[in-house]
Amino acid sequence: MITDVAKNIARFLIFLLIQVSILKHLDLGRFINPFLYVIFILMLPIKSNQALVMILAFFTGLTIDMFYNTMGYNAAACVFMAYCRPRILRTYAPKGEYDTSAKPTIQSLGLPWVLSYVGTMVFLHHLVLFFLEAFTLSSFFSTLGIVIVSSISTVGLIVLSQFIMQRGRT
Amino acid sequence: MYGIIAFFRRHYFAVLFVALEFLSLYFVFKDNYYHQAGFFNSANSVAGSVYKTYNGITSYFNLASENERLAVENTMLHNTLGSTPDTSKHLKVAHTNPYGDQFNFITAQVIDNSTNQINNYLTLNIGKNQGVAEGMGVISPSGIVGVVIGVSDHYTVVMSLLHKNYQLSAMLKKGGAFGTITWDGGDFRFALLKQIPMSETVKVGDTIVSSGYSTLYPKGITVGTVETVEPVPTQYFYKIKVRLATNFKNLGFVYVVSDLMKKEKTELQDNAYKANEGK
Repeated sequence: MITDVAKNIARFLIFLLIQVSILKHLDLGRFINPFLYVIFILMLPIKSNQALVMILAFFTGLTIDMFYNTMGYNAAACVFMAYCRPRILRTYAPKGEYDTSAKPTIQSLGLPWVLSYVGTMVFLHHLVLFFLEAFTLSSFFSTLGIVIVSSISTVGLIVLSQFIMQRGRT
Repeated sequence: MYGIIAFFRRHYFAVLFVALEFLSLYFVFKDNYYHQAGFFNSANSVAGSVYKTYNGITSYFNLASENERLAVENTMLHNTLGSTPDTSKHLKVAHTNPYGDQFNFITAQVIDNSTNQINNYLTLNIGKNQGVAEGMGVISPSGIVGVVIGVSDHYTVVMSLLHKNYQLSAMLKKGGAFGTITWDGGDFRFALLKQIPMSETVKVGDTIVSSGYSTLYPKGITVGTVETVEPVPTQYFYKIKVRLATNFKNLGFVYVVSDLMKKEKTELQDNAYKANEGK
């Protein structure tokens, strides 16, 4: 239990640092803008208290906002994502219910499950984030393009990170 | 009463969602939150020191181009001073500057910067302790950069010209027509110049400089050059695309401009407005 908490804190700090020092400055054009840090919220245990997840999501978003000078944008996106999380987990539940030992990782639930869960969550997060930032629907399709391309890049990085963490464990 | 408690117990998740989302959106839409506290932006000590460390490592990669820019600026300043190596003259000049005594320049290093967001910001390694205040202009050796919107003791947050709320009063160097520079998102190399009337002649390659109507920058700081000019049908203004002089992707050192007469100017204007209203 304690090690789980420690692991999650470490994950939070590591991915926060990767986000603000590497990904923020990795200038791949306007369309590719990955927000890998959401992996921290996505990898919280499946059975964790949903209200706690939402509060953690709020503060994670605020921390990123502080570094990006986008006060509230990431927090709003993360809270929305956390609100949808129970429903998404239920939708993708394998044969009705999760094992008590199930973790939201490739190792535990397989790549197809991770892709659909991470894909949906990341898409919702990016949808709120980028449309809130653009704030107008005049550039609807270009903003939607940013949402889709950035979501793909974020999901790719999350899957890659999971593979690396899995390697580190074995 | 029991009804209310029962409602919250049943729907606590939705209530929590609404509360947190409301709080987030409140931060988003609240005006001028930068003026509140130094904590909620990258000028706070945590974000500032992370960026400073990061910059300490990465700034070495840009040393060559940074040196070149500073050398070019040195040459330009030498040329404006004249070529006589008269030390007494140089010493005298060192205490003044080309803009007279109205403007003071504070050197700063950019420790964080972005060009690919919808709204871009810079973080500088100086703050209140070095005399920076909100509302000061920021320029680079090559042109306009942005405006200070947040300061803590040791760090400064700058709204980049690449921001949807940024506006700059600019003019054509040749002809002197006034317009407004804005950024429409997209390419970090270009901005738009609006409100130049069709009666003016504008050519591709013409230089655009700051107009000096605002207290942010001295008059005549380079903004960029005209890239394309199109007449807008049904309107009396040109649509001008401007190639920015500042390379926002590669900013090393910048200058924060402090206008020593800003207070006097705004006080005078305020008094004049008040006097006018009294009539």
